[in-house]
Amino acid sequence: MLKRKPRRLTNDGKWGLFMVSPYLIQFLVFLSFPLIASLYFSFSKYDMLNAPEWIGIENYTTLIQDPVFHKALWNTFYFAVLFVPAQTILALILAVALNQSLKGLKLFRIAHFIPVICSWTVVLYVADAIFNPRFGIANTLLVKMGASPQAWLNDEALVIPVLVAVAVWKGVGYMMVIFLAGLQNVPHDLYEAAEIEGAGTYRKFRHVTLPLISGTTFLVLVLTTITTFQSFEQIYVMTGNMGDVTSAGGPDNASMVLMLYLFQQGFSFLKMGYASAIAWFLFLILFAITLIQLWLQKKWVYYEN
Amino acid sequence: MFVPLLSALLNSLKSYKEYTSVPIQWIPNPFQWQNYIEVWKMTAMDTYALNSLIVTVLSVIGALLSCSMVGYAFARLQFPFKRSLFVMVLGTLMIPPVVMIIPQFIIFKHLGFLDTLVPLWIMEWLAQPFGVFLMRQAFLAIPKEFDEAAKLDGCTPFQTYWRVYLPMCKPQLATLTIFTFMTKWNEIMAPVIYLSSEDKFTLPIGILSMSGAWFGQEQYLVAAALMSLLPILLVFLFTEKYFVRGASSSGLK
Repeated sequence: MLKRKPRRLTNDGKWGLFMVSPYLIQFLVFLSFPLIASLYFSFSKYDMLNAPEWIGIENYTTLIQDPVFHKALWNTFYFAVLFVPAQTILALILAVALNQSLKGLKLFRIAHFIPVICSWTVVLYVADAIFNPRFGIANTLLVKMGASPQAWLNDEALVIPVLVAVAVWKGVGYMMVIFLAGLQNVPHDLYEAAEIEGAGTYRKFRHVTLPLISGTTFLVLVLTTITTFQSFEQIYVMTGNMGDVTSAGGPDNASMVLMLYLFQQGFSFLKMGYASAIAWFLFLILFAITLIQLWLQKKWVYYEN
Repeated sequence: MFVPLLSALLNSLKSYKEYTSVPIQWIPNPFQWQNYIEVWKMTAMDTYALNSLIVTVLSVIGALLSCSMVGYAFARLQFPFKRSLFVMVLGTLMIPPVVMIIPQFIIFKHLGFLDTLVPLWIMEWLAQPFGVFLMRQAFLAIPKEFDEAAKLDGCTPFQTYWRVYLPMCKPQLATLTIFTFMTKWNEIMAPVIYLSSEDKFTLPIGILSMSGAWFGQEQYLVAAALMSLLPILLVFLFTEKYFVRGASSSGLK
């Protein structure tokens, strides 16, 4: 398209606009307008009953001094720092293992994907079988080994690691499939060449597989980070009580994360302005992290050209 | 991997005494299959299941229609602002949904849709990016010659899409169906935001809301949760390749 001819809307153009209209409606009504509105709310006091009242940066200054927000910020980072590497490494190991042999491949793939299709409510009861403080399998094993039983989700120090372990169990199958797709694209003759050079399993993995799927790895890391920072459903289901949002995030805010805090402030306490400020804060964090990841990508992601 | 699922399954077949026994009683004796029947009979599970089904089915229909139509327009038609709009689709993938939650809630409040199922499925009728990309790629992979042939036969662009192209994209439509089904069947955040009366609850939040009433009878809740997994598990076992295809396509640039 070098030359732009001024022209009336052709018949095809009309059809095109008609067929793209569902997205146009979404874009105008449910994306553009909310984006501007939420920015405006974040500088206002808004309880949904009265009109928003402009208060400048007050929401943000309150936020910076809010101890629960600090806790939520810390927990969110802590969760991500444990979860993102754990799930990525495990997914990669599983994918490489499944990529080796074709025997039983399908069954394993299916087995690892089942947690992905479970709702968090299902996962809650599955996790309870393991981590129930009174009769869960984890404590049974600990007692058998002569250690003392733990309170798991009710223990301030353990709640995040337990949540991370459960999240990895649920999510690893999905990322494994993405890695498997990446591994299928590694040309076979490269492995053969490496074998002729006398490379063993480890060196083949280190110098052929890893560089060639680094693009996939990067994608998995970015996807996982973005979703992890917005994790809400797991915390709400696993630390809450009977579906009550205000009861989640315990014990003593030890599992309070940004998204849950936003939720409580906005939908439980109707502080929509404050909640919008949390949303934009979260957005800025994600934006910064993604930029850093993009910048680091240049250093380790291998591109053929 | 399987141990947690298996023990949950065994738990759902125990009596409360066996369920809470220390040391663990691994195998229920006898197997209490009636747990499943009783929890279904004594709770509003049927209402929750119906709501989940309504949301899921309407979402799937909406996603198939809107994503394929929009995907086709981006793949095959020329119209004003096409390129900038497509950049927007990319852009909306970058903006975290968290920023939209509150204003969208307010929009639905003004439309009078709070505490109805509408907000849970209506967005799928407006072409979500994942599906648009999937379908656009599918249409791009089909040779253009069909276009000209259809034009000679006097088809409008819409007829060309509907009669010629759409039937050729069955695998991608299946992938989109499966993925929308999975997302909507398991969705928790939107129901929590929009639903307040119990007769509107979907399965995941309905089961959570039952836990107070079943205090001291938790094995019934395990049964209820596993029952909610059953439909999607069956769908998954029969269409496993589309799940995998959908997951890997989210890994394609």
